[in-house]
Amino acid sequence: MAIRIALLLSFLATALLAHHSFGAEYDATKPVTITGVITKIDWTNPHSYFFLDVKDDKGKVANWKLEGYPPSVLSRTGWKKDVTMKVGDTVTVFGWHARDGSNWAHSREVTFANGKKLFFGPPAGTGDGGAQPAVEVSK
Amino acid sequence: MISMSASVPAQTKGPAKAASKNVPRASDGKPDLTGVWQGGSTRRGTWEEANTGLGVGGTGTDPTAPAAPSSNDRPAGREGAPYQPWAAQKVLESYNKRAIDDPTSRCLPSGIPRIVILGLFPQQIIQTPKQIVMLYEYMNVFRVIPLNAKHPDDLIPAYMGNSVGRWEGDTLVVDVTGFNDKTWLSGTGTFHSEELHITERFTRVDKDQINYDVTMEDPKVLTKPWTLHSTLMLREGTRLQEYVCAENNLDPGNFEQLLKDGAKISRQ
Repeated sequence: MAIRIALLLSFLATALLAHHSFGAEYDATKPVTITGVITKIDWTNPHSYFFLDVKDDKGKVANWKLEGYPPSVLSRTGWKKDVTMKVGDTVTVFGWHARDGSNWAHSREVTFANGKKLFFGPPAGTGDGGAQPAVEVSK
Repeated sequence: MISMSASVPAQTKGPAKAASKNVPRASDGKPDLTGVWQGGSTRRGTWEEANTGLGVGGTGTDPTAPAAPSSNDRPAGREGAPYQPWAAQKVLESYNKRAIDDPTSRCLPSGIPRIVILGLFPQQIIQTPKQIVMLYEYMNVFRVIPLNAKHPDDLIPAYMGNSVGRWEGDTLVVDVTGFNDKTWLSGTGTFHSEELHITERFTRVDKDQINYDVTMEDPKVLTKPWTLHSTLMLREGTRLQEYVCAENNLDPGNFEQLLKDGAKISRQ
């Protein structure tokens, strides 16, 4: 009985929390392309992050947070920690804006100063259930 | 009938078909399943070769190629999962919430068969005559599968259940029971009860490919057994790495904040 109650409580606690749904956190209809200078890189699980100082037309600088794959996936996708991208590097990032519209985005593709491109995260909509639910929907 | 897709490929060979002659064999004559494998793929070659272009989860090198579906997606063409009407509604709710209730979001184990079909992370099989070990990079979970053994009678409900195996000809048959009800089977919202019973069939049909046929039975939520066919492809040169999900899991907090701020997440 005690086990069943514990399971139930923990299931309820799960209800509103998630991280794997990029499609929930980010708006696939709001692509962004930003260029800036790397200020910090976190190679962490379950997702990695890097931070970018981006200057607007008036010269005002804002720090953006970009989210992507975990370290093991990045390494299999061609990234080398502390080599491929370093603090101080200027990069251009293509991704999708977070649903709250703040300086936060999902990073799909990073273009380096030499023109080389690598994926830092999955395409828009990944993990949000796809184009069709797992069950048939009766109308 | 299940149809073809990039993520959960249907197979043309029957599950009981004997392995061909060029299948590596263990010292006891059984097909040797030992190796590092990638689920959800039909492509041969190294990880890099097989994931160039299309890629799995969008990791390919061709930015114009569409990504293969993630383990949250229902692959195109696959028939609907046979949920009872009330349970189908619950599955649909998760879909409409864009999977924000995904148990793996809190770094919980993916369960079976979701973790076997998953393509973004590799898995490793180590075979001995008496037991088979399956290791999964994603969530760093494992299964120790004794052969010709019975399930213990003191099971505590578990994310990965309890597995026992046996050889039926050249097919490894794994019987899994003892599940808790906190994992998804395959696709967003595909929940189950503690009565879940899974039968998996692993048939190495040639050097590069294992056919994976899995049947899920759960009289509390399904109307009939649900069978999926997928493949595991050999990835020589790939090694399993660490995945400590709890390290920096920021997204639950992000979601809470997005919902609090009234951001539109739901599909409806």
